[in-house]
Amino acid sequence: MHAEAKQHDFEPKIVAFVCTWCTYAGADLAGTSRMQYPANVRVLKFPCTGRIDPVFILRAFQKGADGVLVSGCHPGDCHYMAGNFHARRRFAAFRALLDFVGVDLHRLQFSWVSAAEGGKWVEVVTELTERVRAMGPMLEFKSLEHEEQWSAFQAMADVPGVVNTPELKEAYDKI
Amino acid sequence: MNAKANKNQSSCIEPSYYQAVTQAIRTQAVQVLKDGTVAGVVGYLPGRRKGTARPALITTPEEAEKLIFSPACVNNLSVYLTKSKKGVLKQGRIGIVAKGCDMRALAGLMGESQIKREDLFIIAVDCAGVYGSRAERSESVTEANIARKCHECTVHHPEGADFVAGAATELSGLTPLEAEEMARIEALPQAERWAFWKEHFSRCIRCMACRQVCPFCYCEQCLCDKNRPQAVENSPRPAGNTAWHIVRAMHLAGRCGGCAECERVCPMDIPLNLLNRRMAKELKELYDYEAGLAPAEKGPLNQYKEDDDQSFIK
Amino acid sequence: MSRIGVFVCHCGENISRTVDVEQVASAAGEIPGVAYACDYKYMCSDPGQNLLKKAVAEHKLDGVVVAACSPRMHEKTFRKAASAAGLNPYLCDMANIREHCSWVHEDKKLATAKASDIVKLMVERVKKGKSLAPITVPVTKRALVIGGGIAGIQAALDIADAGHQVVLVEREPSIGGHMAQLSETFPTLDCSQCIMTPKMVDVANHPNITLHTYSEIEKVEGYIGNFQVTLKHKARSVDESKCTGCGICMTKCPKKKIPNEFDQGHGLRTAIYVPFPQAVPNTPVIDRENCTMFQSGKCGVCAKVCGPGAVDYQQEDRFSVEAVGAVVVATGFKLYSIDRKPEGSPIQGYGEFGYGAIPDVIDGMTFERLASASGPTGGKILRPSDGKEPKQVVFIQCVGSRAREKGISYCSKVCCMYTAKHTMLYHHKVHDGQAYVFFMDARTPGKGYDEFWRRAVEEEEAVYIRGMVSRLYQKGEKIVVMGSDIQVGVQVEIEADLVVLATAVQAQDGADLLAQKLGISYDKYNFYSEAHAKLKPVECATAGIYLAGACQGPKDIPDTVSQASAAAAKVMTLFSKDQLERDPVVAKVNEKYCVGCLACKKVCPYGAVEEKEIRDRQGNLVKVVAYVNPGVCGGCGTCQATCPSKSVELDGYTDEQIMAMIESL
Repeated sequence: MHAEAKQHDFEPKIVAFVCTWCTYAGADLAGTSRMQYPANVRVLKFPCTGRIDPVFILRAFQKGADGVLVSGCHPGDCHYMAGNFHARRRFAAFRALLDFVGVDLHRLQFSWVSAAEGGKWVEVVTELTERVRAMGPMLEFKSLEHEEQWSAFQAMADVPGVVNTPELKEAYDKI
Repeated sequence: MNAKANKNQSSCIEPSYYQAVTQAIRTQAVQVLKDGTVAGVVGYLPGRRKGTARPALITTPEEAEKLIFSPACVNNLSVYLTKSKKGVLKQGRIGIVAKGCDMRALAGLMGESQIKREDLFIIAVDCAGVYGSRAERSESVTEANIARKCHECTVHHPEGADFVAGAATELSGLTPLEAEEMARIEALPQAERWAFWKEHFSRCIRCMACRQVCPFCYCEQCLCDKNRPQAVENSPRPAGNTAWHIVRAMHLAGRCGGCAECERVCPMDIPLNLLNRRMAKELKELYDYEAGLAPAEKGPLNQYKEDDDQSFIK
Repeated sequence: MSRIGVFVCHCGENISRTVDVEQVASAAGEIPGVAYACDYKYMCSDPGQNLLKKAVAEHKLDGVVVAACSPRMHEKTFRKAASAAGLNPYLCDMANIREHCSWVHEDKKLATAKASDIVKLMVERVKKGKSLAPITVPVTKRALVIGGGIAGIQAALDIADAGHQVVLVEREPSIGGHMAQLSETFPTLDCSQCIMTPKMVDVANHPNITLHTYSEIEKVEGYIGNFQVTLKHKARSVDESKCTGCGICMTKCPKKKIPNEFDQGHGLRTAIYVPFPQAVPNTPVIDRENCTMFQSGKCGVCAKVCGPGAVDYQQEDRFSVEAVGAVVVATGFKLYSIDRKPEGSPIQGYGEFGYGAIPDVIDGMTFERLASASGPTGGKILRPSDGKEPKQVVFIQCVGSRAREKGISYCSKVCCMYTAKHTMLYHHKVHDGQAYVFFMDARTPGKGYDEFWRRAVEEEEAVYIRGMVSRLYQKGEKIVVMGSDIQVGVQVEIEADLVVLATAVQAQDGADLLAQKLGISYDKYNFYSEAHAKLKPVECATAGIYLAGACQGPKDIPDTVSQASAAAAKVMTLFSKDQLERDPVVAKVNEKYCVGCLACKKVCPYGAVEEKEIRDRQGNLVKVVAYVNPGVCGGCGTCQATCPSKSVELDGYTDEQIMAMIESL
């Protein structure tokens, strides 16, 4: 049933941003219940999903995450009453933005996992891991990390009026 | 008063309309300066070159006689009111010349406690449209040279001002260029959308003109300038550029009034307003919220409803 | 450079079976900033903790990561150990390699790699961590109790008996609440007033209780330990300090035919009145809407007859501010009325029961007044329309309650029991009468409750019909009750002389407004929400505010009294220390960079964010910034995620810590 038994060509890096009261506790429950799930997920604990900044998700993708999970308390269960409601709107907007700039939203999963839902935690993590595994590595942000601005400048070499002398090219290639 | 222009390539806004607006602004500005209602007026003076305009803070009735309104008055003057930018408000109550799109920024700034309504005397312009970026500064305003944002303007007739200059003249039946462009990009396959933005963001030189001109980028320290921690790389490289533009669009979501100044000042012609408009569209669809139509106590991302959409959450 | 110590626990074999702990420790030793790393069989054991303490001293560690079980298990243990070794406890964190790793993975290679990553994450977090000191908040040892029913009285007496000052506020002219209206109480059938009035007198005489009747909460400011509550003392038109309670004003008042609210409108009172003879305080109040003096300016009889000159027609509403450290909310309930509802109200009226227009269709509380010896009929069961003794009485349960289509889906909890009690009271007073009860289920959990109900059925001859009533209508002197008996499967029609409706228990009018003033949350029925349904049933999510009685949901008297005493115990716990210590995971504003957009204030679930003016030495306003009150902040961090410039930061979860963790991925 579990993925570890098999050898995979690609082990995706999954980062989970979770709230401490519900999802973290739910993941603990999965542990105490000895459930099994892929070992790809790295959990970062927050007090509340309300604390989770979209920048963190962006940064995680830049730093090599192939998939990101954001998970907190079900609506109405928030330890802080409303943190997850604010998070819900924030991530609804952020998702739309990422979609518009061309990020594949299959790599970004949101879920409500309560402290009693060890099974759901396993399900959510397994599903995301296997989905991302099938999609392959997230190259978009990673490749940006290694690109220089001038590469775009080069692409414009044929555009009239753009200076692009062999000297410049040589200088660029040396960098 | 001028007749409404028909949907016709050759139709244009008569220059005389702008003269009438100019006259109304001058009369009003002179009056409020003379009777002491305001300590100064932020408005437009003629630029050095013919057919241009420049923002100015004037404090005397004599200077007020020189105020103009023309299709070259593209700037959103509300940016001069925020403390961390120019902070002209220190001088007492201030008059400001504002187009409908600028009024939305004013309303937003009021909702965010940056300015108070009672500190302002708003001389609104019933705006017929301003020049787009490549317009010759001598022509009349036509569909060919009007700014892209004016194609889809819904605030020609501003509300909530102290005085409105001009009345009801606009080009009608303009092609909604930005909506079409947005629809085109939305319809692209995801990889091509990424390629589209990657090409644009890669060209960004991080001159920060978009931030400087934005009425809502009034933070004293921008998150993107912070280096402990550095959430957004600040050298002009594709990775940091992409992060900057995503963070910028996210921070403006629910606040941006669509003045498109960011796009106007961008030296690299990155279609920044497209991002802003996309976010505005999303928030309108999700939460039925439009920024800046009136000062709002809470923006769409500062409030919630228990039954907000959560179809994307497992 | 940091000097972090990493301690990898085997947890017997719980971790070491699937995670190569030695490898995790040696990998941890390679992380820049880690000065010491080791593994040990049981870190939580005494030798394990000593190992940690010794290492902190020997290696001059400035941070500790214990890679073991979930922090929910042993974070406190290790923080205490770190603290004992001289480290700030908030520089000790746990890497969860058991619940999140060894127990959920089987592949040793993958599990070991994951465990190393988890350790790395936590090392980065601790490297960027800050020493935090617990927040101390002074506590004003004085409590406010809102509501003078049995819940408020009990809570006030308990707190006052413990030696603390209590301010008890009641919006009616007298304390007593609904319990004072009841005739007898289930399951013992003892007289409600006989057990209630001594408690009311205790309140009046208690040296530690300041009673404010005919007063309401105007404004609440502050936070746990430090509330400032503005009270509105409504104009009584009688000076409480002068009035002796002789009552001559009431006997002389010419306006004598005003329906008495205390008797559910079935008795009469004067315009200057006390709600009932045992009222506490025994100071009358003038009902200005019905007073001739106030309406036409011609009368003034009460002022003329008042010996001490206590009547004061010029009296105005007065305000006072009370400083208190804790608040007990005990505002009680009201009963659902079957009247036609105003448009827009989610609660529907009962057209099928005549919208309350049939005079001999009454609610349970009215029946209580009819059965009460102090009631309008002197304890005789006489029907309102013609004063005749009813020979057939139909009781209908679940009127409004458990009726989703009427807008209420909850059970009102007390009706099954009080209806059983009503049938008994009726049977005792009208020996040849017959009581019928239409019911859905008889819900009788409680000590002696089911026995009581069975007594009503088996010994006191009440006829229980399982089924609902579809319609009531007047036919001559009778009320025809049409219903169904679903057990027998027949339609039933009873010609009754009196119909008593067990209407639903609802939140008080204005409960939502009071909640908004207090900053506490409430559900869709306006009942106040407890902080946790199971484990914090007395506390509000807003620290320092506690709930007692039916304002939280329908409750009977024993439950109400229990909760009131529980709330009092919570208050006493709070008052047991001079300073309140709070977890320092709270938000702080960087005033240098805050531009005062107050987005944080808009999203804060606790109302912890205030505006703060920054002025220069000349007193000129420089700017307005946000200020987070550490006594109120709950530590969720929603403010920080919302702040565009990150000028507000949550201690313990700073951006620097989180970014460092993400960078290490």
